[in-house]
Amino acid sequence: MTETKRPREPFAPWDRRALPGLFDVEETAKRVGHYKWVELKLFEALGGWVATVPELDIKMRLGTHCYHHAWHAELFDKRLPELREMKTDRLTVPPNDHMVAFIDAMTEPEGPTLTIEKLVGVYRVLIPHKIAAYTYHRNATSEITDMPTVRILDFILQDEFNDWREGEMLIQSMIESEEEIDRAMVHQTRLEKLMLAAGGIAGPGSIGDPYVDLPEEN
Amino acid sequence: MRKIFPAEELARDPRFIRQTNEQRLGDPRGARVAGGNSGDRLAKLTPELANGPDRARALMHGIFTGEIQALEGAGRTCWDFEVGEDVPLELKLDMARQCWDEARHCEISVALAEHMGTELGEFAENGLLYEAACNPDPVLRLTGVNRALEGLAIDVFNTMKEFGNLAGDPVLEFCEDWMLADEVTHVKMGSDWLRQLTANDKERLDKALEFQKVVDRLFSFNGFRGEDDDSPIQLTRRFRELAGFSDDEIDEIADMSREARVEAAG
Amino acid sequence: MTQVSVTPESFDMVFYDAAVIGEVVAEVAERLGLEETINLEIDEGSPLGRSKIISYDPIELWVDGGALENTKRPRQFGTGRARDTLGRLLLRILDRRSGRFDETPADDDLDLMQFVAWDVHCVGRLNRLGIGGQRQRRLYQFRNRHGFTDVADAAFEQLWDSSELSWTEIERISEACRAS
Repeated sequence: MTETKRPREPFAPWDRRALPGLFDVEETAKRVGHYKWVELKLFEALGGWVATVPELDIKMRLGTHCYHHAWHAELFDKRLPELREMKTDRLTVPPNDHMVAFIDAMTEPEGPTLTIEKLVGVYRVLIPHKIAAYTYHRNATSEITDMPTVRILDFILQDEFNDWREGEMLIQSMIESEEEIDRAMVHQTRLEKLMLAAGGIAGPGSIGDPYVDLPEEN
Repeated sequence: MRKIFPAEELARDPRFIRQTNEQRLGDPRGARVAGGNSGDRLAKLTPELANGPDRARALMHGIFTGEIQALEGAGRTCWDFEVGEDVPLELKLDMARQCWDEARHCEISVALAEHMGTELGEFAENGLLYEAACNPDPVLRLTGVNRALEGLAIDVFNTMKEFGNLAGDPVLEFCEDWMLADEVTHVKMGSDWLRQLTANDKERLDKALEFQKVVDRLFSFNGFRGEDDDSPIQLTRRFRELAGFSDDEIDEIADMSREARVEAAG
Repeated sequence: MTQVSVTPESFDMVFYDAAVIGEVVAEVAERLGLEETINLEIDEGSPLGRSKIISYDPIELWVDGGALENTKRPRQFGTGRARDTLGRLLLRILDRRSGRFDETPADDDLDLMQFVAWDVHCVGRLNRLGIGGQRQRRLYQFRNRHGFTDVADAAFEQLWDSSELSWTEIERISEACRAS
């Protein structure tokens, strides 16, 4: 036997990671597939919009953010086979038709005067919902068994927060009148309703369910 | 948002004025190249020329608007084609990466314009580069943009890098060196995808290479990019080889430029 | 009263108007205090930006059509560009007539450093008169000839900000960069 100091616990006192998580392999793969689908749709839209936006600084930001979300799609794509899904396309799907309707509505604005709508859809609706779903997944999954997903989500969330902040600042700098506030709010409301119907980027339960079922009163 | 976004609708702020192809080709004074014009006034772009710095300034503005269009073109390739049906996911990921690179090139170009004393939109923009990025076949689009136009960018950036070196301009030389590295990567992407997507489709490969030649010819502007001592933009063999061009292909571009010069002179 | 004659009287390759050009020449000349006949010859077939003084007395100027062009709109006349080009030429004529430039070599004998240094001094003065400008563009040209150094930048400031330098002073400032 090797001469050592006193034996140590396998988990250091500051390491409070717990074994159980809310998602099994199958559920994790399903969610990761939805995330990948959303990231794919988002980077495609950002890339497509570059040519339609006249504001030079926003044009360049969209080009930069386009790659961030493509990279997220790539990370999720590589994770899927590790979750026993060898045909990654099979799970690269929207959670439901409402989510497809949301993406269709988000990517609808094209004209050069619709930059506010384009930015609102991404930075005030989709990205906040992504941050919510990823944070929920990151906190609810097992930090031991599913650490590869946690690590991916940590990288991605860092991008999401930065991009959300930049996007929000672009929106604030674009809005210069009450009419433009109304435009932003109307579009946001329309998209939020579609997102509500979808139940979040991974469908109902995207961020869990915080409500308690009250027992029937006697 | 539509698939295939027309070049004439590219969104710009009012500082930028687009010159149509009809206007460009209808200019009886000859095509404008590298801040000068083509034809009998060709001369290699160096600081020794009396108008060298101004030509470099004009060329840099042309690079800037070219970078904007390259960004837009790569972005459209992300949007215009469906994963699986039209292109593999990996191709779109490469295009998204190229979007980021081109966005950085725009940022670099803006900084260089300021350094050289150029106002944004000071010179007319032409949409030729983006037009090549509108081809509905992704293989032809990538070949035209990533091999022909980004290949030209290799030559232009290397010429500008040398200009910076000769002028003792550390800012220009530094920036061009970095952009050159990215362009070699983009051309290599084009070469790799062309090979991969046409591995079992000789007809498509031939069509793509023919389209590349058409784009190369369109951008030859009376042979301004070549290997002759007085070619304003010098053909860069070493970097083109790194990017996946064969010797034969490089020879062909050099020959094409020479022929274009003879044609323009005759 | 300034009299201006523009050749050619009409243009085929560019959309210029000789009368408008004449007005711009007269306006610039009058702001510089020149009241005499000016002949301007334009090579409309050249989109380059060269310009030169053919004769100092009487005043005869020659320019590429491109030197008067609106760079945003090829083939269209650019008033600002024309003011800048013509103002530089006319100011050089005034300099040579001032007695402060008697030792200046002939235009064709000026090297690029000398030419650019004098040009900076001209454009700096024009800028203060509200004609021309593009300070950073001129700095870039000056750096290309005198080096991308602090010494060159200080020399540029001096040339740009000074009101009436002599040729000897311009040459000394330019030479100091060469020595550094």
